[in-house]
Amino acid sequence: MEAAVALPETGSESPVFETWVLIHGDALLRFAYVLTGDANLAEDAVQDALTTACAKWSRIGAVDDPEAYVRRMIVNAHISWWRRFRRRESPSAEPIGANRAAPATSDGAAQRADADAVWALCATLPSKQRAAVVLRFYEDLSYAEIGRLLNCAEATARSSVHRALAALKVKLSKEGAEDV
Amino acid sequence: MSDPSDEFGRRVADALRAKADDAPAGRPLASIARRRIRRRRQSLLAGAAAVLVAVAIGGVWQGVSGTVRENASTADSPAGSGQATEQDHVPDKPAQTAHQSTGCPASHPITVTPLRSTAITAGLDLNTPVTGLTACRYRVVKPGERHATLLIGSAAFDARQAQAVVDAIKPLPERNPDLPVFKCKPEAVEPSEAIVLRFATAAGIREIWVVYDGCADAGFFTGTKVYGLYAEPLRLFMTGAVRPSRGTYLDALPGW
Repeated sequence: MEAAVALPETGSESPVFETWVLIHGDALLRFAYVLTGDANLAEDAVQDALTTACAKWSRIGAVDDPEAYVRRMIVNAHISWWRRFRRRESPSAEPIGANRAAPATSDGAAQRADADAVWALCATLPSKQRAAVVLRFYEDLSYAEIGRLLNCAEATARSSVHRALAALKVKLSKEGAEDV
Repeated sequence: MSDPSDEFGRRVADALRAKADDAPAGRPLASIARRRIRRRRQSLLAGAAAVLVAVAIGGVWQGVSGTVRENASTADSPAGSGQATEQDHVPDKPAQTAHQSTGCPASHPITVTPLRSTAITAGLDLNTPVTGLTACRYRVVKPGERHATLLIGSAAFDARQAQAVVDAIKPLPERNPDLPVFKCKPEAVEPSEAIVLRFATAAGIREIWVVYDGCADAGFFTGTKVYGLYAEPLRLFMTGAVRPSRGTYLDALPGW
């Protein structure tokens, strides 16, 4: 197992695990962070997925797109957390901190404030809806791909995204009205 | 990317991308993964080693307890009887090893109701010399009923003790007249448990079934003959985990 660390990348064969993680690790962390909305959960999800991947690296490393495979593992881990902790995790009626976004004093600050508000609202979405939104808008996946990843029909994935967007829009407009 | 018409989708995408930069970075993910796998493998190895040690200790314990039971049974046997004195002169065979003593199959035809003595395919002819005995106490289940463990307890005995059991059964009549005739509900006819005596002989394993519960029948069944239920032979092998706490006929058995 340790010997693999010193091995050079094997070209057409699977890349060395350490090298691959060095290249893709931060992107995976970013994806997991956007997906979970929490730095600790993101690290846990990525670490769990990479531990599983490492144990089967000879097979996973040889597939066409190991990154897609690992991302899928992260999504599955996230959804299973949701299942495990769904009693504890319930979307709150009012997003925490959404109203505390920095006031828009300039273009950059306005964008930042808007990002903060959307981010806080995304935290109120149920985990599966949030995953659908992230896969659609952060990962640019088609609804068919999202359906495959989330183990549901394409139409279900589409309606999840649309429902989530509708909920976000309503909440944002409500907050905008309250701010005035 | 999002539907071009969906302005709000683009807004969400921008927000997610902007916030993605807040994600933790530069973590030693690969080395942690390797460390976790190493730890997982060590735990697996440790678990496997623990199981091996437990099995080894269990085997030694079974061997030791078999020897202890041997002594206990000798003390229990009818003191001063001519039979016992005669047997004292029989040279002791080596005590059974732990492997030999675990001769009770996890499941056995005796566990299936209705219990029929005709199901004994390899019954013991009581004139056959025996070289060892394993007593297996089984739970008897009703048709369709399922139970995780059918074997309740077992005990191993050496050649001398095995022969003592055979000799104690041999002179018994077909029925013990001191036992009452029970009338019971149909669901209580079949015994809830029974014991299989598995004797080692030159021709292989031969069995006697011992029935002491239910209300249909009681005694020692060899497949071709029935011997009445008496306390003396029972005392020789009903020890430890093979000793039932109760049984319809045991409760009414004189001298038990």
